[in-house]
Amino acid sequence: MRWYNSTNKKFLYLLPGLLFVLILVAYGLLQTIIESFADPKGQGLTFANYSRLFEQKSFWDSLVFSFRVSFISTVIALTIGIVVTKFLHEILLKKSWKLLIWLPMLFPHFIAGYLILLLFAPSGLFSTLASQIGIIDEMSQFPIIVMDRQGVGIILTYIWKEIPFVVLMLLPVFAQIDNRYKDVVRTLGGGKWETFRTVEWPWLFPVVVETGLIIFAFVFAAFEVPYLLGATYPKMLPVLAYQWFFEGNWSNRPLAMASMLLITAMIMILATIFFYLLQKKRYRMMRGN
Amino acid sequence: MKKNIFISIIAFLTIIIIAGCGQKDTAVSKESEAILEENWEDIAVLAEETEVRIFMWGGDDGINQYMDEWVAPNLMEQYGVKLVRTPMDTHEILQKLMTEKRANKNEGTIDIFWLNGENFKNAKENDLLWGSFAPNLPNYLAYIDGESLDVNYDFGTPVDGLEAPWGKAQFVFQYDSAKVANPPTTFADLKIWMEENPGRFTYPEANDFTGNAFIRHLFYESVGDIEMLLENGYDAELANASSDQMWSYLNEIKPYLWRKGETYPQTLTDLDRLYSQGEVWMTMGYNEARAVSFIEDGIFPETTETFVLESGSIGNTHFLTVPFNSPNKSGALVAINYLLSPEAQLAKMEPGMWGENMALDPTKLGEEHQQHLATLDRGKSVLAAEILQEHLLPEVDSRYVEWIKENWLYEVVQFNQ
Repeated sequence: MRWYNSTNKKFLYLLPGLLFVLILVAYGLLQTIIESFADPKGQGLTFANYSRLFEQKSFWDSLVFSFRVSFISTVIALTIGIVVTKFLHEILLKKSWKLLIWLPMLFPHFIAGYLILLLFAPSGLFSTLASQIGIIDEMSQFPIIVMDRQGVGIILTYIWKEIPFVVLMLLPVFAQIDNRYKDVVRTLGGGKWETFRTVEWPWLFPVVVETGLIIFAFVFAAFEVPYLLGATYPKMLPVLAYQWFFEGNWSNRPLAMASMLLITAMIMILATIFFYLLQKKRYRMMRGN
Repeated sequence: MKKNIFISIIAFLTIIIIAGCGQKDTAVSKESEAILEENWEDIAVLAEETEVRIFMWGGDDGINQYMDEWVAPNLMEQYGVKLVRTPMDTHEILQKLMTEKRANKNEGTIDIFWLNGENFKNAKENDLLWGSFAPNLPNYLAYIDGESLDVNYDFGTPVDGLEAPWGKAQFVFQYDSAKVANPPTTFADLKIWMEENPGRFTYPEANDFTGNAFIRHLFYESVGDIEMLLENGYDAELANASSDQMWSYLNEIKPYLWRKGETYPQTLTDLDRLYSQGEVWMTMGYNEARAVSFIEDGIFPETTETFVLESGSIGNTHFLTVPFNSPNKSGALVAINYLLSPEAQLAKMEPGMWGENMALDPTKLGEEHQQHLATLDRGKSVLAAEILQEHLLPEVDSRYVEWIKENWLYEVVQFNQ
């Protein structure tokens, strides 16, 4: 029992969890990889599915659309989240207010999407109100916000859902910031913007990037909200993959596997790049430049 | 040291996976083949006091009510078979069976499921079905026209007894007679009506079963010769050569559709929602009696009526089947046989239940059932049986469904972008 020392002991305790992850995640991923490379006619492995995927106009349009929707949702949610936390963090640290801002987190994403649908559809609540007040003559004049080709409805849902998440991530950072630094900036004649830029932002930056990455990855790979609120064309990639996987024609299934793998790869590459950049930044901060 | 542990984990995993895949239960499959050779009385005895699990689409309250409140108690009383219904979409059922097949799981959880068209084709081609059981059922022999095309072919795929016909449905349009005085009678008429009422009509995406059926009907018009389409089976060249009229029609109506054709309802349910909210004035569906329960429940306006176009309405038969790994095959046979009985089929036709047309040949029914059929009032929104029969168009090969899906995206949705 020489291997049963303290380092290995920790490892042994982790074993059940590790096995669980390995069996469920690794096996699924492996199966997806195999199927995405499987030759549609025979047994061998081939890139045919990928080249077929890259020939699809709907794939490229979906990729661009997914990227745009995820990027816009992330940036807006982060911006509003930072502003809200900056100006309200003192109040928000009290329990009752915390509950209020976190309320949207209690709803599943699907419910949030459905709420947006009920509120913003051309026959929805806001449209009905507007036509009754007389802002618009007919319900069909109401601007098209859900199931639109720009993905406004999807973006709205994610902003509404993710702002509380941003606030949750940033609150502890604001609580940690040493207020004496702010005094220094002020004594030296710096304004509010200077204070934010030189004192708060360097503290916030790593967490903001991390939060942004989580939101981006989440939206990029999300299914239910774009399924509910998306237009016929272009569809977000996961919706397209779902369609390819579940439609009657099973010959498109490898396309679904290939596109999901590409999504995974893209998120992993993005994460690696940002963490690398962040690491450098942290190192510089530590040294005090 | 760490390397050793890693290797042992991998070894452990490999053993689990190999052990999971290696089980082959030959005894079960042998026994299940034998059931088809038993005579019916013995099968009924075998089925007694067992549980039969039926998996089927659960999106319609009328259908669910018929299964739970009429079929299940009667089956229990007459045959001592307990029917348990699980709602699940057919493609998910096939996915589940496919996974079980790969894992060599010969004892599944599904005894019966409901399918049709491309789902049947996929199931048949992937050997997910049990065997040729339908011609063994007493009620199939007694009441079903075993010669007719719609029983022997499911969207162009030979049935080969792998599934038993359960019901027939026909494509109809629903409209609100309070808003539309004279419903259109031809596709040309429909176009004029759309131009006069912009934004009040749309159809579900071609990926949706109903949306695809709407486009298939246009395809018939575009090809012109339906007989030829049926006899030749699937012919991509013919489809490409004679579909110009269909694509130009779909593109010409685009500016007058709901949302100017920028987006389409994803499913029939979405279209029904638009109709019930008054955003559009027409909806459609593959069941001539579908409006009845919607009106009753107050989802559709009371003034909802149905119509078919002069050029016809596509109709098809849908089926019940037994998967390869059903744990209770004798029970499944008894339940399916019961679902094909005149009592069950006539009850299914009642507007308060499902309201759908029966799969039986009316001329083969006994006198009592014939009378029942004659006096059955299917509800005022259902067209007369003669009108429906007169307009009935058959389904074509299911590969056309795929062909339409793919080309619709290219020819209509991406067009002009």
